[in-house]
Amino acid sequence: MTSHFPWLTILVVLPIFIGSSIFFLPHRGNKTFRWYTICICLLELLLTTYVFCYHFQLDDPLIQLEEDFKWIDIFDFHWRLGIDGLSVGPILLTGFITTLATLAAWPVTRNSRLFYFLMLAMYSGQIGSFSSRDLLLFFMMWELELIPVYLLLSMWGGKKRLYSATKFILYTAGGSIFLLIAVLGMGLYGPNEPTLNFEKLANQSYPVALEIILYFGFLIAYAVKSPIIPLHTWLPDTHGEAHYSTCMLLAGILLKMGAYGLIRINMELLPHAHSIFSPWLVIVGTIQIIYAASTSLGQRNLKKRIAYSSVSHMGFTIIGIGSITGMGLNGAILQILSHGFIGAALFFLAGTSCDRIRLVYLDKMGGVSIPMPKLFTMFSSFSMASLALPGMSGFVAELLVFFGIITSQKYLLMPKILITFVMAIGMILTPIYLLSMLRQMFYGYKLFNVPNSHFADSGPRELFVSICIFLPVIGIGIYPDFVLSLSIDRVQAILFNYFHR
Amino acid sequence: MEHTYQYAWIIPFLPLPVTMSIGLGLLLIPTATKNIRRIWAFTSVLLLSIAMGFSANLSIQQINGSSIHQYLWSWTINNDFSLEFGYLIDPLSSIMSILITTVGIMVLIYSDNYMSHDQGYLRFFAYMSFSNASMLGLVTSSNLIQIYIFWELVGMCSYLLIGFWFTRPTAASACQKAFVTNRVGDFGLLLGILGLYWITGSFEFRDLFEITNNLIHNNNNGFSSLFATLCASLLFVGAVAKSAQFPLHVWLPDAMEGPTPISALIHAATMVAAGIFLVARLLPLFISIPYIMNFISLIGIITVLLGATLALAQRDIKRSLAYSTMSQLGYIMLALGIGSYRAALFHLITHAYSKALLFLGSGSIIHSMEPIVGYSPDKSQNMVLMGGLRRYVPITRTTFLLGTLSICGIPPLACFWSKDEILNDSWLYSPIFAIIACFTAGLTAFYMFRVYLLTFDGHLRVHFQNYSSTKNSSFYSISLWGKEVPKAVNRNLLLSKMNNTVFFFSKDTYKIDNNLKKKVRYFNTSFDKKYTSIYPHESDNTMLFPLLVLVLFTLFVGSIGIHSDQGVIDFDILSKWLIPSTNLPNSSYSVDWYEFFTNAIFSVSIAIFGLFIAYILYGSVYSFFQNLDFINSFVKGGPKRIFLDQIKKGIYNWSYNRGYIDFFYTRVFTTGIRGLTELTQFFDRNLIDGIINGVGVASFFMGEGIKSIGGGRISSYLFLYLFYASIFLFIFNLIFL
Repeated sequence: MTSHFPWLTILVVLPIFIGSSIFFLPHRGNKTFRWYTICICLLELLLTTYVFCYHFQLDDPLIQLEEDFKWIDIFDFHWRLGIDGLSVGPILLTGFITTLATLAAWPVTRNSRLFYFLMLAMYSGQIGSFSSRDLLLFFMMWELELIPVYLLLSMWGGKKRLYSATKFILYTAGGSIFLLIAVLGMGLYGPNEPTLNFEKLANQSYPVALEIILYFGFLIAYAVKSPIIPLHTWLPDTHGEAHYSTCMLLAGILLKMGAYGLIRINMELLPHAHSIFSPWLVIVGTIQIIYAASTSLGQRNLKKRIAYSSVSHMGFTIIGIGSITGMGLNGAILQILSHGFIGAALFFLAGTSCDRIRLVYLDKMGGVSIPMPKLFTMFSSFSMASLALPGMSGFVAELLVFFGIITSQKYLLMPKILITFVMAIGMILTPIYLLSMLRQMFYGYKLFNVPNSHFADSGPRELFVSICIFLPVIGIGIYPDFVLSLSIDRVQAILFNYFHR
Repeated sequence: MEHTYQYAWIIPFLPLPVTMSIGLGLLLIPTATKNIRRIWAFTSVLLLSIAMGFSANLSIQQINGSSIHQYLWSWTINNDFSLEFGYLIDPLSSIMSILITTVGIMVLIYSDNYMSHDQGYLRFFAYMSFSNASMLGLVTSSNLIQIYIFWELVGMCSYLLIGFWFTRPTAASACQKAFVTNRVGDFGLLLGILGLYWITGSFEFRDLFEITNNLIHNNNNGFSSLFATLCASLLFVGAVAKSAQFPLHVWLPDAMEGPTPISALIHAATMVAAGIFLVARLLPLFISIPYIMNFISLIGIITVLLGATLALAQRDIKRSLAYSTMSQLGYIMLALGIGSYRAALFHLITHAYSKALLFLGSGSIIHSMEPIVGYSPDKSQNMVLMGGLRRYVPITRTTFLLGTLSICGIPPLACFWSKDEILNDSWLYSPIFAIIACFTAGLTAFYMFRVYLLTFDGHLRVHFQNYSSTKNSSFYSISLWGKEVPKAVNRNLLLSKMNNTVFFFSKDTYKIDNNLKKKVRYFNTSFDKKYTSIYPHESDNTMLFPLLVLVLFTLFVGSIGIHSDQGVIDFDILSKWLIPSTNLPNSSYSVDWYEFFTNAIFSVSIAIFGLFIAYILYGSVYSFFQNLDFINSFVKGGPKRIFLDQIKKGIYNWSYNRGYIDFFYTRVFTTGIRGLTELTQFFDRNLIDGIINGVGVASFFMGEGIKSIGGGRISSYLFLYLFYASIFLFIFNLIFL
C-alpha cells in the first residue's frame, strides 16, 4: 500500500504549506486573502472527495491509503497515516465546515492574513489528527490544534477574550499532559522496543491496573475536549468570546476530536478498561444531558446558551460510546457529524445576528423577526434540527443512541430503564431552552430605541452558508445510510473485539 | 385495482412540493414568489384534491371489502437493526385520510380569502400544506417509528402555525407552550416505543400485537406483563398530549392564538385526532390489558366533564369552541376505552366536520367583526362585543346554527347518531360514567347554545360601546348566568330595562381591566381607531362556499353510520368499512329499534333541556320577559338564592380561571424548572467554574509572592540562604547535642 501515491500526506500538509505563502502575497486589500483562502479550502475539499471516491473502498473495514515513512528511528516514530470508515466522516466534515467558516469570516478585516493562515493551520492539524495511525503523531497533531485556536481567540475575540483564551489554553494543555503521559506509557510498555503503531498496539494486552491508568489519562484529555462534565467550563467562555467563524470550527470540529479519540484510542486499544469504565461513561453522559440543558436555560448570553446546548448534545455521543453496541456506536458517530453541522450553523447564525443587533443578552432582545425574516427562518430551522426534529440528522442520531442503550447486553434492566428515562427527560428540556431562545430573540414586538434602527437581513453569502449546512442536515435525516454506510463495517470490527476475547 | 394500492405512497407526498417551492421561493426570490401567490394557493388546493381522489378511491375499495395492504421499503440497514418505511392502507387509515383531505381542501379554499390581506399569505399556505402532508403521512404509516416521525412533524407544524402571528407576545408563548406540552407527550410515546421494542423486537403493528398478547396471556410472569402495561400507558401519554386530554390539555385553548382556519383544520379536525388515531391503531394492544382500557376511559370521562365545565364561561368565541373540542375528544377517548371502536371513529368523523364548520363559521364572524372592533383577538373574538349578528351575517348564522345543533346532538344532524351510540355503549360499561356522559351532553347543549345566542341573538353590543362612550368604553361585564351589560347602564333606555334582569342573575360581574389591556401591545390595534363601517358584513363567497359544503357534510355524514334494515344482514356503511370481508356476527349490531328510540329520546331530551336553559338565560330580551315570571318563582326565596349565588360564583370562577390547572402548572412546573435552572447555574458558575478560577487566582498570588521574594536581589537570596542554614544548624544542634 505504501507504494501508492501519498494522497493523505498531501491532504494533511497542503493547507498549511500553501497557506503559509499567504504572507508573501502582495498586500492589495483583504479581497485577495479571502479568495486565496477560499480557493485553498475548496481545492482541499475537492481533493479529499476525489481521493475518497476513487481510492477508498467503502466495504473494506481495514485501514486504507496507508503511508509509512520513518521519521525518528530511535523510538519507532513514523509518519504513519491511514484512514478507515471511522475517520472518513470527520475528515469530510472538517473540509466542509472549514470551507464554510472561511466564507463566514469575510467580515474579519483586522490582520486578516494571520487570521486566514491560522484557520488553514487548523485545517491541517485537524485532518492530521483524524488520519494519523501513530500514537505520537496523533499527539503532535492534537497539540498543533491548540496554538491557532489560542491565537484566534485572543486576537479576534470579544471583550473578555484574554480570560477565555487563557482558560482555554490552560484547560487543554492540562489535558494534553495526561494525554502525553498515557501516550508514552503505552508506547514504552512493550517488551523490548517502543511501539507507537496503532495496529501493533491494538493487539497488545496490558495488566488491568496499567490499562485503567492509561485509559484514565486518555479520558481526561478527551473529556476536556469533548467536553465531559465537570471539565466543560472552558467551552461556554470560549464560545461566548470567539469570533463566530472560530466558533464554527470549535463547535463543528474541535469538540468532535475528543469523541473521535475516545472511540479511536480508548475503545479500540483499551477494550478491557473501556468495558469497565463504560457504565460510568453512560452515567456521566446522562447527567451531562440534563445538567447542561438546565444550565443552558439559565444563560442570558445567547452564545453561551448555544454553547451549553452543545455540551448537552455531546452527552448523547458519550452514551453511545459507552453503550458498546453497534447501534449506539453508530449513533455516536452520527451524532458527531450531525452536531458538527448543527452546532456550527447555530453559532454562525447567533454570531451574525448578535453583530447586527449589537446585543448579546437574550432578555434585551426581542422582535427582530420583522426586519430579519430570512435569519429568523434559518434560525428556526436549525433550532428545530437541534431539538431533534425527525427528518433532520439529530433525530436519527439520538434515536440510534436510544436503541443502542436499549439493546445493550451490558446493562441490567433497571439501570437501562432509568438511563433511558433520564435521557428522555433531556428531550423535554431541549425544546424549552431552544424555543425560549427563539421566542426571546425573534417573537414579540419591540420598538428599538437605536436612532438608525435598520437591520439588514442576511445577505446572499450568509444565506449560502446556512443553506449549505442545512442540506446535509436534511440529507442525513432523510437517508442516514449515507453516513452509516461509511462507518458500519468499521464499527462492527471494533465491537468484534468486545465479544470475542 | 391493485395498482391504486401501489401508488398510495404518493398521498402524503402530494402536498409537499408546494411547501418546498414556496419555502425556497420565499428565501431566494421573495418578490417574484409573492407576485404569483394566488397560483400557489391554487396549486396547493389542486394537489390536495388529487390526494383526496386517491384516498376516496382507496376508501371505496376498502368498503367493497378489499384487504389490508402494506408496502415496505428499507430505510436504514444495520446488521442488527433494520428500519423499514412503508405505508399501510386499512380501513382506519382510509377513513382518516379522506377526513383530512376533505376538511383540508375546504380550509384551504376558505383561507384563501381569510388570509388574503395578511402579509404571511404564502407562509401560511406553505405551513398548511406541510401539515397536511405530515398528517397524511401519519395516518398511512406502517410502523411505530414512522408514526413517531410524523407525530413530531405534525407537532412542529402546529408550533409554527400557532406562532404564525409572531409579533403577538401571547402567540409567542402559546406556541412554545403547545410544543413543550406536546413534547411531554412525545417523551411518553418514545419511551413506550422503545419499551415495546425491547419486549418484542419489532415496530410492526401486527408483530407487536401478537407478541404482546402472547406475553400477557401465556406467560404468567408478573414482571413482564407489568412492564408491558407500563409501556402501553406511556404510549397513551403521547395520545393524551396530542388529543388534549386531561392532564395535558392546557395547550389547546392557548393554541387558538393561531389564525382561525388553523384552528378549524389542526386544532379541531385533524391533528388533535392524531391521538385518537394512535389509540385506535393500537387498540388490539391496549385491549389485551384491561388496566389500560380502564385508564383510557377514566381519562376520557374526566376530559369530557372538565372540557364542558371550562367551556361554560369563556368570553372568547374560539376558546369556548376549543374547550368544546376537548370535551368531544374526551367522548371519543371514552368510547375507545369502553371498547366501542366503531362509535369512536364515527364520532371522530362527525365531530371533525361539525367542529370544522363551527370554527370556520367563527372565523367568518371574526372576519366580519374585525373592521368594527379592531384586529386584536381580545376584541374581535370577544363574544361580549358581538350579539345580534343574525341580521348582518345570515348565511354564516344558519351554518353556525346547524353546526351548534349537531354538536348538541339534535337529530338528524351528524353528531346525534354518533354521540347517541357512545352514550348507549357507556350505559353498558358503567352507569357512573354514563351518568356523567349524559350530564355532559346537557352541558354541551348549554354552552354551545350559549355561544350561539351570545353571538347571534339580541343586539349588536359594539354600538353600546359607542353610545355610552366615555373614556372607559370597554367597561363591560358579562356573567355566566346573565346578560352582559355596560357599566354605564342608565344612559340607555333599553339598558335600564335590562338592568332589572341583571340584578337577578349577575351578581358576579367581570370587569375587563382597561389599563391592563392597554399595556399589552398589539401590532394592529388601537382604541381610537376610526371605524370605517358600523355594521358587520357577510363574508365573501369564497369563505361561504366551504361553510356550505361542510353543512352538507354535517347534514349527511351521519347517514353512513345509521343502521339500515335490509333483510337479514343489517349493517351500515361504516361497519362495512371498518370490518372488511369478515362475517359480521349479526348479534353484535342487530338493532333493536325500540331500544334505540328510547335511548335517543332520552339523550335528545337532555340536549333540549340544555338548550332551553341556555335560551332562558341568554336568549334575547323580548323572549326573556316572557319567561321572567317563571324564573322569578324559580329563583326567589331568600337563603336558597344565596346558596345558588355561591354555586354560580364557584362555577364561574372555576370556568373562567380554566379550572386553576394552568395556574397550578405555572406554579409547580414552570417555577420548578426555573428553580432547577438557577440551582444548576449557580452550581456551574460558583462551584465548578469557581474551583477553576480559584486555582487560577491562587496560582496568580503564588506567582506574585514568589516574584516579590525572588526579586533578583543577591542580598535577599543570601539572607534567605543564611536564615535557612542557621535554622538547620539550630535543629541539628537540638537533636544531636
